[in-house]
Amino acid sequence: MRLYRFLLRLFPRDFREHRGQEMERLFLDMSGQWERERRRLGPRFWWALMWDTATEALAERLDRAREAVRMELSRSLGEQMSTLVSDVRLALRQVRREPAYALMVLALIAVGIAGNVAVFRVLNGLFLRPLPFEAPEQLVDLDETAPAWDLEYLSIAYRDFDTWRAENNTFQSMAVLDEGGGNLIADGPPRRVDYLLTSHDIDDVLRMAPLLGRFYGPEEDHPDGPRAALLAEGFWRQEFAGDPEVLGRQVQLDGLPVEIIGVLPARARFLSDADMWLPLRQTRTDWRGWELNGIGRLRPEVSLERARQDLLAIHKGMIPEFPVNEISSPVIHSFRDRYLGEYRLGSGFLFGAVAIVLLISCANIAGLLFVRSLVRSSEMSVRLAIGAPRSRIVRQLLTEGMVFAGLGGAVGVLLGVFGSGVLVASLSDQFPTWVTFDLDARFVLFTVGVTAASVLLFALAPAVRASRAAPGSVGGTRSTAGRAQRRWMGLLVAGEVAMALALLVVGGLAVLDVQRLGRVDPGFRAEGLIAYSLTLPAARYEDGDARTAFVDAYLPRLDAIPGVESAAIASAMPLGSHWGWFFVADGSPPRSEGESNPVVLNRMVSPSYFETAGVELLAGRAFDEFDAREDGNGVLVVNERFVETHLSHLDDPIGAQVTPETDARDDSVWWTVIGVARNVKHYGVDEDMRPGVYQPFRQFPTAGFHVALRVRGDPAAVIGEARAVTADLDVELPVYDVLTMTDELAQSLWTRRATSWLIGAFSVVALLLAVAGIYGVISYTVAQRTKEISIRMAMGARAGDVSGQVLRQGMGLVLVGVIVGLLVSLVGAGRMSEMLVGVGVRDPVVYIGVTLVLVLVAAVANYIPARRAAALDPMQALRRE
Amino acid sequence: MNPRPLKPQYFQILLALSRGDLHGYAIQRAVLDQTEGQMRLWPATLYRSIGKLEEAALIRSVGAPEDQSDDQRRQYYALTEDGRHRLEEEAEKMARWVRAVRGAES
Repeated sequence: MRLYRFLLRLFPRDFREHRGQEMERLFLDMSGQWERERRRLGPRFWWALMWDTATEALAERLDRAREAVRMELSRSLGEQMSTLVSDVRLALRQVRREPAYALMVLALIAVGIAGNVAVFRVLNGLFLRPLPFEAPEQLVDLDETAPAWDLEYLSIAYRDFDTWRAENNTFQSMAVLDEGGGNLIADGPPRRVDYLLTSHDIDDVLRMAPLLGRFYGPEEDHPDGPRAALLAEGFWRQEFAGDPEVLGRQVQLDGLPVEIIGVLPARARFLSDADMWLPLRQTRTDWRGWELNGIGRLRPEVSLERARQDLLAIHKGMIPEFPVNEISSPVIHSFRDRYLGEYRLGSGFLFGAVAIVLLISCANIAGLLFVRSLVRSSEMSVRLAIGAPRSRIVRQLLTEGMVFAGLGGAVGVLLGVFGSGVLVASLSDQFPTWVTFDLDARFVLFTVGVTAASVLLFALAPAVRASRAAPGSVGGTRSTAGRAQRRWMGLLVAGEVAMALALLVVGGLAVLDVQRLGRVDPGFRAEGLIAYSLTLPAARYEDGDARTAFVDAYLPRLDAIPGVESAAIASAMPLGSHWGWFFVADGSPPRSEGESNPVVLNRMVSPSYFETAGVELLAGRAFDEFDAREDGNGVLVVNERFVETHLSHLDDPIGAQVTPETDARDDSVWWTVIGVARNVKHYGVDEDMRPGVYQPFRQFPTAGFHVALRVRGDPAAVIGEARAVTADLDVELPVYDVLTMTDELAQSLWTRRATSWLIGAFSVVALLLAVAGIYGVISYTVAQRTKEISIRMAMGARAGDVSGQVLRQGMGLVLVGVIVGLLVSLVGAGRMSEMLVGVGVRDPVVYIGVTLVLVLVAAVANYIPARRAAALDPMQALRRE
Repeated sequence: MNPRPLKPQYFQILLALSRGDLHGYAIQRAVLDQTEGQMRLWPATLYRSIGKLEEAALIRSVGAPEDQSDDQRRQYYALTEDGRHRLEEEAEKMARWVRAVRGAES
């Protein structure tokens, strides 16, 4: 019976009052009847009863809502408008009358909305905006994976792609791409250009027509085909002044003639910001390893998994001809997952953080409005008494909320757009070119939606409350919060504390993590280290001897530049590109079946590299001028990790014999390990290091390389000198990609650092807002209880008792919030584990630290009103009542 | 409510009341009997239906009849003139439908 009475509360109150008794009676009769028929009240009875009550209650409430809406609508539009106008005017009058209060509410909304707007803009750009190509959901990223080589992404071998393309039946089309750079001579001096090499299918995959001219076809995508190129739109406008006559012109790229056959549309830059696109010109018989990126267009209604199975079957079918396909497998990803997957978690947490800030803002505003609605309840009572309908009063309070939200939202959106502009400007080189952060309809929709949602959050509850003010309670006693209201406000405070604490834990973990990462030793000395790139064109430096001769002449000239301490060359700088190879050590036990053979990072460096880059040698020696001369033996310097993975069977790694061939035979090439270098964080300070080797440049003279300079003083002046030295040796050789390693290091952590600091900052904002909330509510309760406190003091209570009691009450709420917040963050932090490198998700320092900070700040917020209560002069206060 | 066809439970309630004034539980029993156990009107459904029918002035609430002293406290409901009229209309319509179906079958 009690249960049924409880169920009946689902109905509107007056319905309950009118029919409740009869319904209870009927319920008794029916349950008696049911028991007589079936002996007991089984679950079927209760289920039917609950279903009946719930659906009918819902229907009743819907009926009433419909009725209310119809009544509102039945009034003429003019009336509607005039009501609205008068409501707005009333709201604005409130703003004028209490500017401090209004300013506070506005600031709260603005802060909450600004954060959300700013973060949403980034999220929108990263994860929501579709690619600007037809049917973008069909576009996927193709790659190969090789877990046995410890490589998540191997890149694609041309012969694999060629077979996939020919035999699949899940793709409409697919293409492979490679990036490159060359020296272009059109009219003036040579300049460095970036180009994209693609197989000829790329226009089918993207469904993209050229702006001018035509795309290359199969006849140009062939080693013997005519050389052709398309220009990127921006490059065409900038270098060729947008001249349509450019079609058919011959230019020189790395000394070879190329015909310009077309201009790309502007949206091509979403795939690559290269200056030119050229055909790849590969065939399945020339083996160049795995070096291509792939892009495919799925047939409609084909899932990623089905397509993967399709390619996998084809790929593994190639094993008889190419046994290496045993190790590699095709992988297919959506573009976003492949390139932005690592940002998803961080942005998710960031969005959570701003959402919590907004929620706390709304809770604070709700508290403020609520307190005011109590203060104003006599006004409401008067208006009810003189016949204003309840709906009218709810409407007025809602309008007030909306006016505040509208103003605050506008300020917030402006702040948010400005803030996100700063954020986006510093983010944009972190992401692939197809990510843009323009404001779009989705963004507008979100800002409007979030503003409206916050109005509902903070204005509705107080509005409904206020409209319940009884018309009779006008004047006389001051209106005060009853027990129910006090409990409601206590809930608000505890909730704010819980949310703020959970966010503080997340922010604390994230900030501590980047702090620790910032102190990780990268294994080289970044300060004073700068680098630039050079590529020796094959047309003038046809073999390794010519390239070695250039370097031998070049390095002493660089050393002589004032401000240069030492100069070196390297095929890859730390944090730079990866070129992998496999090595086998003499006498190492054969690998067991299924054991991984990790790929080894391979770098070619000049003897002075270790000194220049500040890479410490732990054992043995660096290369010298005599290593790898024609009559000498091959040599290697290996890193610590290589010793662990390849040389663990030896007592002393120095002198070990290593071959770069997979099947070690007596007539294999054998290289001697002459030194062990410290691990360098080549893939980023937040990534693990692979085994790596250094070879003398002389042993493997590559055409393209980096020049590393350790400098004193101004790097810019040194670069200027270096350009002059370079031009002096070869006037057609551009110096490009100048970088300072401290920038590179900072850059490699930039996104992580930005995310963490933003979460940290928002958590501090949340803390401040929550504390403001506590302060407000406790002050209010003290003010409300002035009478009671005065009486108690008049009867002999000491000041300490009074302030103690207020403090206890406030801190009780805080404690509840802290417990809930800690529980929430323990659960929530589990999801952070992927994001953290340097700290554990349960790091006690963070949990204890932020809890202490929060409790301390909350105690201060409580103490101020508590002291005010204790300082009360009872006689004066009572007289005022 | 007039132009729309009566909902089945409204029809059954009107039918039950056509045989005399009844209280809630009695209506519920009568409907259960009339429909051979097919329609069990649970409290919320019944009283919301009663509310709707009262609004449409098809039924009205009355005091308990004189002779039933034990049920003094119960609220009884009676058919109004409109209600009786509407019930007949509805019954006539149903009868037409039944004839139409029978006619089609034979």
